[in-house]
Amino acid sequence: MKLTPSLLEIDFSETQRRICRFIKEYVENAGAKGIVLGLSGGIDSGTIAALSSLAIGGENVLGLMLPEKENFNQKDIDDAKVIAEQFHLETQVCDISDALNGIYGTIPVFDQSDRLCKGNVKARTRMIYLYYYANKQNRIVCGSSDKSETMMGYFTKWGDAAADIAPIMDLYKTQVRKLAIHLGITKELALKPSTPALWPNQLAESELGIKYETLDLILFGLELFMVPQEVAEQLGIEKELVDNIKRRWLANEHKRRMPLAPKIGFRTVGNDFRLPRHTY
Amino acid sequence: MKDKIKLALAQISSKRENKIENLLKIEKLTLKAKQQGADLIIFPEMSLTGYVLFDQVYELAETIPGPSTQKIEALAKKTGMHIVFGMPELSEKTQATVFNTAVLLGPQGLIGKYRKMYLPTHSVFEEKRYFRPGYEPAVFQTDLGNIGLSICYDVFFPEVFRLARLKGAQLIICISASPAVRSSYFEILTSARALENTAFLAYVNLAGVEDDLQFWGGSRLVGPTGDVLAKAKYDEEDFVVCEVDFGDLKAAETFIPTLRDLRPELFDKLKEYSEHL
Repeated sequence: MKLTPSLLEIDFSETQRRICRFIKEYVENAGAKGIVLGLSGGIDSGTIAALSSLAIGGENVLGLMLPEKENFNQKDIDDAKVIAEQFHLETQVCDISDALNGIYGTIPVFDQSDRLCKGNVKARTRMIYLYYYANKQNRIVCGSSDKSETMMGYFTKWGDAAADIAPIMDLYKTQVRKLAIHLGITKELALKPSTPALWPNQLAESELGIKYETLDLILFGLELFMVPQEVAEQLGIEKELVDNIKRRWLANEHKRRMPLAPKIGFRTVGNDFRLPRHTY
Repeated sequence: MKDKIKLALAQISSKRENKIENLLKIEKLTLKAKQQGADLIIFPEMSLTGYVLFDQVYELAETIPGPSTQKIEALAKKTGMHIVFGMPELSEKTQATVFNTAVLLGPQGLIGKYRKMYLPTHSVFEEKRYFRPGYEPAVFQTDLGNIGLSICYDVFFPEVFRLARLKGAQLIICISASPAVRSSYFEILTSARALENTAFLAYVNLAGVEDDLQFWGGSRLVGPTGDVLAKAKYDEEDFVVCEVDFGDLKAAETFIPTLRDLRPELFDKLKEYSEHL
């Protein structure tokens, strides 16, 4: 099999239909009144907002905008509003600056210069807001993680990936962008550079050190059980780059799974204690 | 044996772990099938309990005969219908040995059962973790004709259908719990299994969503030359009544004489080579 961008071409109508069916049935079967999601102004959250709205109606979808002073970006707010208007979502803006400062101020070892630790507090604080609305209003938290970021571990553990459902987690970033365009989201927004918005001017591709177009093909090669040498040869890139991606791909499994528990009992959570997700 | 029979393809979404509700649905649709003149109604794989059960399968499995088959037996007697459905079957000899089983009942009661021979344990499937495989193809002589039973992943193995056909099955039923990403395989293989055996094949799949599996429906009756004679909707519950005309088999067997042309000596080679893969 030749690793070319066409391999990542999928039937976006069928994908939309399948995801919308998944969202609708999950919400109905859970007895929830709707969905809450973080609306950041980025393409992943815009896409799940669109899909959720198409699945259960925009009036049942709440997009939370969670800006904060340090990383405030009016363009992101404007882009989030465009999505909300286009797909008829309810929205609510909560400035989380005071909450963040409250947390920072009560951590004795808080280090203002450690932007990663500080950024992760932001992602986890956003999660707290989403789950507050979910609890209070009987909503399902809809996650916006895509497959590229999930496989690279490019997310905050128990932060932005924390959700009840993850409708686009099986789509690579380049596929999400195409799905977004298929859904009617503008190209400008679909192709907007991604950012986790943990600190000012943070850009995903700069941090990852690779363009998503190449990264997705590497990840897809690994998904197909190709070895790094083969992936590198097919894509005409250095094997070292593929090795690094694969190392990261493997090293971050801990972020994708339940915490490990030492086997002591008869059936162990996260291991051989296996129950259906929902009994309706 | 009748020349023609009417089938009802009951493509349902089961309520997981809720036998009471599923039995009510089976009863309601069996009565509807009777009203529409059907002789036989077919429900999907594990339609009694839902498919994605994990460890709960041990609580839900029942012996055959058992409480649920007795209820459906009473329904078959009351309506004069033949009924096929799927359930987790508990061995009578042990307390936690379970089979993935298709059951056939008729106006006279329990006719027979088939224990799934090929248990998918790859990708999203983990049936071998929970089920013991069956070892016998199942073909039953009924008032409606000779009926063979199979389940889902069996369709990838031509020998299951060949064995049923060679035992005399003219209608082979395949009940299924197939998720959407695999729909194209089943659409190809159900036609292939019917065509290569010149037999009718009734495929009945689950609809609905269980955890991350979305069952694609698409139930169908395939004729002995591989034509799709009737088809249910994709992805949602549906109910389709269709007709099997056993008179079509003669023409099909002459036009595509695969049974006449069988080469039994090759099957020894098949056994030998498959043992040394």
